[in-house]
Amino acid sequence: MLTVTVFLGTILQKKTPQGNQRRLEVSLDEGASIVDLIYHLDLEVEPDYLLLAVNGRIAELDQVLAEDDKVHLMMPISGG
Amino acid sequence: MKVWRINVRKQALQIENVPETWQGLGGRGLTARILLDEVNPECDPLGSENKLIFAPGLLVGHRLSSCDRISVGTKSPLTKGIKEANAGGRTGFHLTQLGIKVLIIEGSPTDEGFWVLVINKQGAAFKPAGDLVGKGAYETASRLIEGYGEDPAIALIGPGGEMRLTAAGILNIDKDLVPSRISARGGVGAVMGAKGLKAIVIDASEGEAPPIVDLKTFREAQKEFNKALLEHPQITAYAEYGTAGMAMISNGFGGLPTRNFSSGEFEGADEISGEFLRDLLVERGGKAKTTHACMTGCTIRCSNIFASQDGKEVIVSPLEYETIALMGSNLGISDLDVIAKLNWQVNDLGIDSIEIGAALGVAAEGGAFEFGDGQSALALLEEIRTGSELGKVLGNGAVATGKHLGVDRVPVVKGQAMSAYDPRAIKGTGVTYATSPQGADHTSGLTIRSKVDHLDPEGQVELSRNSQINVAGYDTLGACAFASFGFAAAPETITALLNARYGGEFGEDTLRNLGKETIKLEREFNKRAGFTKEDDRLPAWMKEEPLPPHNAVFDVLEDEMDHIFDDL
Repeated sequence: MLTVTVFLGTILQKKTPQGNQRRLEVSLDEGASIVDLIYHLDLEVEPDYLLLAVNGRIAELDQVLAEDDKVHLMMPISGG
Repeated sequence: MKVWRINVRKQALQIENVPETWQGLGGRGLTARILLDEVNPECDPLGSENKLIFAPGLLVGHRLSSCDRISVGTKSPLTKGIKEANAGGRTGFHLTQLGIKVLIIEGSPTDEGFWVLVINKQGAAFKPAGDLVGKGAYETASRLIEGYGEDPAIALIGPGGEMRLTAAGILNIDKDLVPSRISARGGVGAVMGAKGLKAIVIDASEGEAPPIVDLKTFREAQKEFNKALLEHPQITAYAEYGTAGMAMISNGFGGLPTRNFSSGEFEGADEISGEFLRDLLVERGGKAKTTHACMTGCTIRCSNIFASQDGKEVIVSPLEYETIALMGSNLGISDLDVIAKLNWQVNDLGIDSIEIGAALGVAAEGGAFEFGDGQSALALLEEIRTGSELGKVLGNGAVATGKHLGVDRVPVVKGQAMSAYDPRAIKGTGVTYATSPQGADHTSGLTIRSKVDHLDPEGQVELSRNSQINVAGYDTLGACAFASFGFAAAPETITALLNARYGGEFGEDTLRNLGKETIKLEREFNKRAGFTKEDDRLPAWMKEEPLPPHNAVFDVLEDEMDHIFDDL
C-alpha cells in the first residue's frame, strides 16, 4: 500500500457531515495511477476533464503514484 | 450606430458616421484602430493629444450572456504604450442603447475643475462636479444615483484618478449600482482625470437596442451559445467558487505570488483559497453571497459578495483571485477580512488592486512595512487618499515605488505590474506578460489551464500566442473571458451571431482574425511610440533568481519570443 495526499479543488471537494473536505490522505495499492485514485474517490466528473498535478508538476491520468506524493485534482479554470 | 466625439475644452459633442474601417471592429480592436488612426503615439498620455475611448464590443447591447463588456482604450500613462482595460457592469450596454458605437473623449479642459458628463438621447451636457470632487468612488456613485436615478450607467473615477495617479482606473456601476466593475489597468483613470471628468452618466431611458439584421438567426445562435455555456462543467466551478478558485491551483503549481514574488508557494494558501472563501460566505450568510452576476443576463455569475462576520454589512463585492493574491499572499497576508478591507479601500480610491498589490509588495521589501502586517498596508492606502508623498509614489505603481525605495526586484513588464501568476512557474503566462502590447496583464492570455508542463520552456511561445489571439478576439466582441467556454464549445455561433447582427460581413475563423488584427494594430502603435523587442522582456532578476518550490527561473528563449507574432 502507499499513501498520497490529495488536494481537491472547487466542486471536487468531498461533501461530508463535517463540512467540505479538500485535503485527504488516501491509501492505494502499489502501482496505482491517478485514474485509479479518481475512481477510488468516486468523483462525479469525467477524469479526462481534470487538470492534474503531482508534486507541483502537470501530470497525466496514467501517471503511477509514489508514497507521499501530493496530488492536486483541479477544475481547469483561470483567474480574472 | 454613430461615433460620439466629446471635446472637453469646448464642452461640445459631435456626432459622426462610423468610418468604414471601424465598422467591423468593436471593443478592444476598435480602441486600437482609433488610437492608431487619431492619437500621436509619442504624445503625453495626460495631455490634450491623447484620447479616452469607450467602445462596447461587437456583440454588446443584446443581453447575450456575459457579452456586454466595455473596453476603455487610451495611451497609457503607466506603460506609455497602448492600453485597453475592459469591464462588466452597465456602461457598454447603455452606450449601445443610445446608438453609440464608440464614445471618444478628446482635448484638455481649460481649467482645473472637474465635471460630470451626462449623455442621453438629446445629446451631451457638462455639469460641474461640485463637492463630488475628492469623494471616494462609493460615495460618488451613491450621490450620482440619488441625482440621476437608478437607471443610468455611470463610469467614474475616485481620488486616484483625480490625482492623475498612474495606477488609477475607471469604475463602472453594475446591475446592483455598485461601482466595482473596474477598467482598472494602465492608468485609464488618470487620463479621465486629466480630461477633467469625475464621472460619465449614461441615461439610455429613451434608447433602444441596436438593430439586428436577422433576428431569427440571432436568437437561434444565442440559444445554442447559451446551451453550450450552461452545459460546460467549468461554469459550475465559476458560479460556486468564482475566480478565487484559482488560488489553490496557482499554489499547487508553485506559481502563487508570495512576498513580492519571492516564492510560488504560500503557507497560508488554504486560508485565502476559493474553497475556504466559499465556506466562509455560506457560514456568514445574510448579505454574503457566493455567486452574483456583474452584468444583467449573465448565466455564469462568477462574482461574489464578501460580508462581515455577522453577515449584516457588505465589506466588498466582488473579491477576486487577482486581488486575493496580490494583496494577500504577495503581502504575506492570509486573512480574507483584511484582504477584503484592502480591496474596498483601493476600489474607493479608484486604484487598480493588482498594481497597488504589487507596489505594496515592493514597499514591504523596501522596509515600508512588514510582510503580513495588514493594518500597516491599510494605513499606506490612507496615505494615497491624503495625497502624501509616499501615497503618490504608491499610487503611481510598482516601478515608482521601487525607484523611491531603492528596490530592484520589481515585478513588471512595460512598467505594468504582473498579475497573480509567477512567470517562472507558469512560463506560458510569462511569455504573455513579456510580449503582450498591454504589458504584464492577467487578461491578455493566461495559460495555466492548459495541460502542459508549465515549467518547461519548450512550446510556451506557441501556447501564449494562441491564448493572446483568442482573448484579443473575445475582447473585441465584448465577451467576458469566461463566455469563451460557451463559444469554444459552439464556435460557429460567433460568426452566426455577428452576421445576424450586422448582415453577413464576417467569415470563418472570425474570432482569431479579430484577435490577430487587434494585436497587429496594438503592436504598430507601440512601435510608433518607440517600443522595441527589448521592451518584450521580463525583469532580468526573474531569469536569474530561482523561485521556490521548484527553483525555476524564466528561461524561454528571447529569440523565440521575438518572433511570436511574425505571421499575424
